[in-house]
Amino acid sequence: MSAIIENNQLPFSAKFLQFYKDRTLLAILLSLFAVMFIYGIFFTENYLTITNFKAIIRDAALYGIMAIGLTFVTLSGNFFLLSLKETASICGVTFAMGMATGFGSPDLAGNFLVSLLAALAVGVVSGVIQGYFVGMGGNPIVVTLGGAGILYGIGAWWSDNLVINFTRPHDAEWLGTGSFLGLPSITWSFILIAIAAEIVLRHTNFGRKVYLVGANKAAGKATGHENFSMAIIVFTICSVCCAFVAVAFVAQMDSAQSNYFSAEFGSSGDMTILVIATVMVGGNSIMGGYGSTLRTSLGAIFIAMVDNMMVLQGFNSGPRIVGVGLMIVFSIIVFGLFAKGSRAQE
Amino acid sequence: MSTNPILKISKVSRTFGAIQALKEANFEINEGEIMGLVGENGAGKSTLVKIISGFDPGFKGSYQINGKEVKFETPSQAEESGIAIAQQELSLIPNMSVAENIFLTGAKVKKFATLNTLAKMARPYLDEVGLTEVDPTTRINLLSVGEQHLVEVARLISREAKILILDEPTAALGEAESRRILEMVERLAANGKSIIYVSHRLDEIFKITKRITILRDGVSQGIQETKDIDVNKLVEIMLGRELANMFPSKADHISDDPKLEVKELWPDGVLEPVSFSAFKGEILGLSGQLGSGAGEVLASIAGALQSRSGSLTLNGETFLPKSPSHAIKKKIAYCSSDRKKDGLFLGRPIFENLTSPALGAISKYGFNFGSSEDNYSRNLAKEFLIDVKRMHDESGLLSGGNQQKVALGKWLSIKPDVLLVNEPTRGVDVGAKSEIYQRMRELAARGITIIFASTDIQEITYLPDRVITFYRGMMIDEHRLEKIKTPVILKEITDPFNETNL
Repeated sequence: MSAIIENNQLPFSAKFLQFYKDRTLLAILLSLFAVMFIYGIFFTENYLTITNFKAIIRDAALYGIMAIGLTFVTLSGNFFLLSLKETASICGVTFAMGMATGFGSPDLAGNFLVSLLAALAVGVVSGVIQGYFVGMGGNPIVVTLGGAGILYGIGAWWSDNLVINFTRPHDAEWLGTGSFLGLPSITWSFILIAIAAEIVLRHTNFGRKVYLVGANKAAGKATGHENFSMAIIVFTICSVCCAFVAVAFVAQMDSAQSNYFSAEFGSSGDMTILVIATVMVGGNSIMGGYGSTLRTSLGAIFIAMVDNMMVLQGFNSGPRIVGVGLMIVFSIIVFGLFAKGSRAQE
Repeated sequence: MSTNPILKISKVSRTFGAIQALKEANFEINEGEIMGLVGENGAGKSTLVKIISGFDPGFKGSYQINGKEVKFETPSQAEESGIAIAQQELSLIPNMSVAENIFLTGAKVKKFATLNTLAKMARPYLDEVGLTEVDPTTRINLLSVGEQHLVEVARLISREAKILILDEPTAALGEAESRRILEMVERLAANGKSIIYVSHRLDEIFKITKRITILRDGVSQGIQETKDIDVNKLVEIMLGRELANMFPSKADHISDDPKLEVKELWPDGVLEPVSFSAFKGEILGLSGQLGSGAGEVLASIAGALQSRSGSLTLNGETFLPKSPSHAIKKKIAYCSSDRKKDGLFLGRPIFENLTSPALGAISKYGFNFGSSEDNYSRNLAKEFLIDVKRMHDESGLLSGGNQQKVALGKWLSIKPDVLLVNEPTRGVDVGAKSEIYQRMRELAARGITIIFASTDIQEITYLPDRVITFYRGMMIDEHRLEKIKTPVILKEITDPFNETNL
């Protein structure tokens, strides 16, 4: 390390550096927001309408919720859960099965609570299993890629690759297309989950452990915070978020198919890429230990704004996916430039 | 010895933003000379070393080699002028052979060379650094850390370095390996190389150097002839104040009831089960070189290393810790030897580090809204003389000494009965060392049983109330209070079974 870090006589400069590092990414993100907003007002038709902003925040909500779940995984130093869309896929199929058939017992068909709990339970189980293997020392990429194949395969097998329909009116409409005080239910869910996640990270022992283990697994173990239980919990949180989004999305579509989250989801195609982009664009450290769910939420809104702009400018899905990819690359470059020298990067 | 210095630096200063790392440094070295470079952490040693080796071109002042003014923009330019540095962190490639590592840059090697050719070419350089018995085709990771250091130096020599900078080459080494390094340094100097020896280990500095440059607060304090000064004088110049006594006085007596009884503990790296007891309020030192098993015994008491057998008895309870968290629940704290690896959360603020083992104590029902944590960490910081104003800074920004204080101080948060410390002062400057010793003694006086393992012979002689010596995975002997004698311990940890001296 440089002599700046060794010299302990000038805490002010050290503090300045830290302040600078902490705020730069946020400042860049906010100024990009502003640029986009102004561009939108002057150069894009139908931009400055309430309907449009509702659409933006609604899009942001779907992958924002999943990204908040993924943020726990990333912050805790367990990299990424790569089976995001596959987890959502099997949970969506489960929910739709419940709504359509009641899992074989006609009495339960269309029972929202049972279907929801079943979908969440599938999320919990897949999260616990993947977390267990990662906690035992498995590489998160390999484990969750394997998980992705298995989860998607089971979903497709179970549903025979067919679209499972359930007809309106059904008990899940309030979640799928309903709204409250002018905002869609999914948007409210996003806001509430974002607030809850931020409180958990900032003000609970569990949240502190996420940061500590993410910053240094070995030191975490030495101070009694093992990554084993941490991995199980964060992967479960992430999978449950996927399950919840899947339920909301399926409720909106009144149907489910195992490939919904690869092709039909949102507007930019592949959900896993979108969610990972959201976490990255928010400026969370890939190595863990540094970041917040607030950043992720802002990242979600940012991506939704860019996407929305591209839609209004008449781009079709190809260029828009390129846009998401560019945002990932850009955020990694910016993060690499401004977080240089940060210990969180080691 | 020529009177004209081969390298001369005068009135060099270096600022980083608002920080003045070097204010006015003068430095020189003659041909075939070993020059010691000492100073507290943050005194500007590493900045000076970086300037000399060409890593840092942004300084002001004069830099002459053989009387000619030079300006290096990159380390490779400095290397062409014959200046090479062996960093603390080695830059060897573990999976490659010794010979391949030596000729890694390939400047002297033909496009196609077999390993045998390389091995033959490597031989003289290995002999020069004292690795006569090492086969050049051996993979690097099969060598000990000390031997790897020697290979690194052999590599520098192969590139015809005339001025070698050794930055704390013995920091991670035990006594015997350190001795090999020192032998090598002396041999190289005899062959006409100039060596800049940077070290916190003052005994080594006195053993091998002719002259010493001392840095304090970025200012060089003149060149001292080694034969004219002693340790106390050197430390005084280094700190700018007299260090009356680096080590606190020992306990008056040791209580007779054992606080912690270790029975038949047998971790990996130890040849036979180990049993001993530690008494209430004492400092017990486990002495041995790297690989002696002393550190392993300590780690297995803390549950950081699995033991095949045995048990601990603490406060009337008999158990064997399975993990660090188990040991922490039983009020056993363990401060490891490598604070960067598993001692600190470098990217997190100091206060989070300080409270990390005791999250339960600073929260209610798992929730933590800051105020009780604030008080808690402030008290800990005050007790360990950590700057309270810097509590929200990343711990990675602290100097080595302060980092060690945080790594050690955090364990007070669990109110331990037993405090285990592996290498309490590795890579720590003299001032912070003394503070750490004082603090350990105070904690012991409060009734905490402290067991530490160390390869530092000064520390093992003066700090503890009792010493247990280890040699190659075996427990050798136990010494009490005033009977602790340096030569005896040195013999027991280096060569206990041989009547002749090494």
